This record gives sequence, C-alpha cells and structure tokens, in this order.
Amino acid sequence: MDHDHHPKTDVHTEEAVVHDVAAPGPTFVAFFFIVTLAALALFVGFSDGLGPWKLTANLAIACVQAGILAFYLMDLRQADKVTWLIAASGVFWTSLFFLFTLTDYLTRYLGVL
Amino acid sequence: MAANVNGPVAHHFNNMGQQLATVRMGMWMFMATEILFFGGAFCAYAVYRLMYPKDFEAGSAALNVGIASVNTFLLLFSSLTITLAIRAAYTSRTKALGRYLCLTTLLGVAFLGLKAREYHMDYEEGLIPNVSTLSPEAKEKHAARMAALAAEGDRLEAEAKTKSGSEAAELRERGIELKARAAQPPVAFNENVKVVLSHNKAFKGRPLDEQTYDVGTPSAANAHDYDPFKVQLFFMFYYSMTGLHVLHMIIGVGLLTWQYVLTRRGFFDHNARFVYIEVMSLYWHFVDMVWMFLMPLLYLTGPHTAGEAIEMFKKSVGMTGGH
Repeated sequence: MDHDHHPKTDVHTEEAVVHDVAAPGPTFVAFFFIVTLAALALFVGFSDGLGPWKLTANLAIACVQAGILAFYLMDLRQADKVTWLIAASGVFWTSLFFLFTLTDYLTRYLGVL
Repeated sequence: MAANVNGPVAHHFNNMGQQLATVRMGMWMFMATEILFFGGAFCAYAVYRLMYPKDFEAGSAALNVGIASVNTFLLLFSSLTITLAIRAAYTSRTKALGRYLCLTTLLGVAFLGLKAREYHMDYEEGLIPNVSTLSPEAKEKHAARMAALAAEGDRLEAEAKTKSGSEAAELRERGIELKARAAQPPVAFNENVKVVLSHNKAFKGRPLDEQTYDVGTPSAANAHDYDPFKVQLFFMFYYSMTGLHVLHMIIGVGLLTWQYVLTRRGFFDHNARFVYIEVMSLYWHFVDMVWMFLMPLLYLTGPHTAGEAIEMFKKSVGMTGGH
C-alpha cells in the first residue's frame, strides 16, 4: 500500500479544520463570566426569593455556564462540523434519556409508589 | 488561520490538520459517552426528586455547602489554568506549560482534599445510609427525647388513674403508646440527620417519625416536614454521584501528573504535541461541567444561608471551635 506522506490538495481533505489555539483574551473573559455566574448561582441558592423556582434558576445558570465553557474554553466555537455533530448528539441523546424516563414516571399513579 | 505546528503526520492522515481534527473529534466522542454515563445518574436523581421533593430538600440542607462552594471556585480556576496550558504548549513555552499543569494538578488535589474532609465529616455526623451507630450528639439528644417521652407516658398513665370511663382508657392508651415509642431502638441515620438539620437555621421541617398524631393537612407549618427514611435515598444519590465525580477527578489528576512528568522530560518540546494538552483539557472541562450541574442539584436545592456556608467551611478546616 502506498502511504503518501505529502499533503494532498484535495479540497475535501483541506476542509479538515486547522484552527489556531485561542489567544488568552477570550479565555479570561469567558472565565470571568463563568465565575460571575457561579457567584450568582450561590446567591440564588442562599436566598429564598425565588421559592420553588430556585432550582430552575440554578439549572438555567448551569446551562449558560456549560455553554460558555464549551464554546470558549473547550473551543467548540472553532471546531469542525463533525465535532459539533458529536456534541449536539450527546445533548440530544441525553434529552431523549430524560424525556422517555420521565414520561414513564410522571404518568404513573404515584400513590402506589 | 492555519495552525503553526510542525510534526510527523501519521500514515493514515492526509495532513496535520486532519490529524488534529480527528484527535479532537475522538475526544468529543468519548465525552458524548461520558454525558450518557452521568446522564443515567442525573436521570435517576430527577425521578426520585420529583417523587420526594421535600425529603430531598431536607437531605440537601444537611450537606456541607461551604466546602462545595469553595470547591466550585477551585475547579473553575483549574479550568482556566489548563486552558492556558494549551496555549503554552502551542507556543512552545514548556516552562509555562509545566507551571500551568502543576497549578491545575494542585487545584485538583485541593478539591479532592476538601472532598475527603467533607466525606469524613459526613461519616462523623453519621450521615451514611443504613448506618448502625448514632453520632455522639444524636445519642445524647435521642436519650433525652426518649426519657421525656417515657416521662410523658408515665404522666398520662398516672392521670388516667384519676379519670374514669373512655377518657381514662384513652389516656392510658396514649401513655402506653408513648412508652412503647420510647423503648424502641433508634434508627441511627434518622436520628443523625435530625441532629444535623436542627443546626440549619433556615430549615424548618419536622421529621415525620416524631409526629405522634396525625400529620394533618398540608399547610405552611408542615411544608418542610420530611421522612428521614427518604432522606437516606437522597444520600445514596449524593454519595454515588459525587463519588463518580471524584473518581473522574482522581483519574484527571493522575493524567495531569503524567503530562507534567512528560513536560519535564521534554516531550512537549515539539509543539505539534499541544493537542495532547488540549485533549486533557477537554476531559478536565467536562469534569468541571458535571460539577456545575451537581452543585445546584445536590447542594443548593435545600435551604442554606451564606453565613451558614462560611461557618461550615470554617468548621471543616478547623477555624472554629464549635458548630
């Protein structure tokens, strides 16, 4: 088998994303936002203002934190389409996991459990 | 902008760009499986939380939120340092790379140290499901409570002797019931968790097994009442979910240490190898992401105050004499 070590000029292979490693600036900005959100989550957690919506608010904050972490610190922003597809698949299959499991339990008669 | 990396391309790749993209893709695929791995635990937690919301809030109120808060910031800061390590490897600054890897490892070890301290305190407080021993404080309080119950039982029986008919019978029956309850051996975990929750100023629940008579219709007064048996269920989730996370942290710390050793040996002098650091960072960020969701679900769901969190942390590290 002929192993060609010379880079090919095939357009398809050149689409393999070769992106630069992010400069520190956006990293620090993303870090600042994540830490601020963490402090906000603690503030919400330690207060009684939101009542039963406290958990929803904290999970929403966690989702935003995860998004910033994924896009900026994990470099998903510059990733190629296949990587995006894999990341989206993980979220999609997990949501199916929750959807089907909770559909079962939430429609049962809880009095017998 | 093309990556300025030089290095041999493996035979099954067309160019360096494809090789790097494949490495990253492989790691993302692994993380997708990890999402499903943790997803199972989170899903089970969601089911039982929906079934027993008040009991899970009571369990959360018994946790050490001070340590958890500090751990959150340690982990976030370590995410920053590992990201800076990628840049250091990419620009061939191996000394800086070593420093960032070392710092990330130390922050991870600090997290694990505080977590170990938290587990030890949970053990001391007897918050282990199905534990068979009472904590010292629980033993004292339980004995006092049972003595009071027995005394009340004696009083009711004595009062029954001064009455007649159905009133006397009812008093005698209640007296016997209270004395029987006083003579029952305690369920250790239940007593331990009651003691811990009694220290939570924000928590106002009453355990169901101390309500002698009817629980009554739901109202503001009994809105936070809890079943200590179901709090054990919460603690099963607490230990298994945080235990899984700790396991991942230990693996991560091990890998970081290995990469630090490789750095000292000059492995990362070739800047094409920055992708190994990037792959490590993806793993570390994922572990951080899991903690971002674990924290509100386990620790912040119950009532806590900031002052209490600070006091808990001080007590954990020995900065205060008492609770």
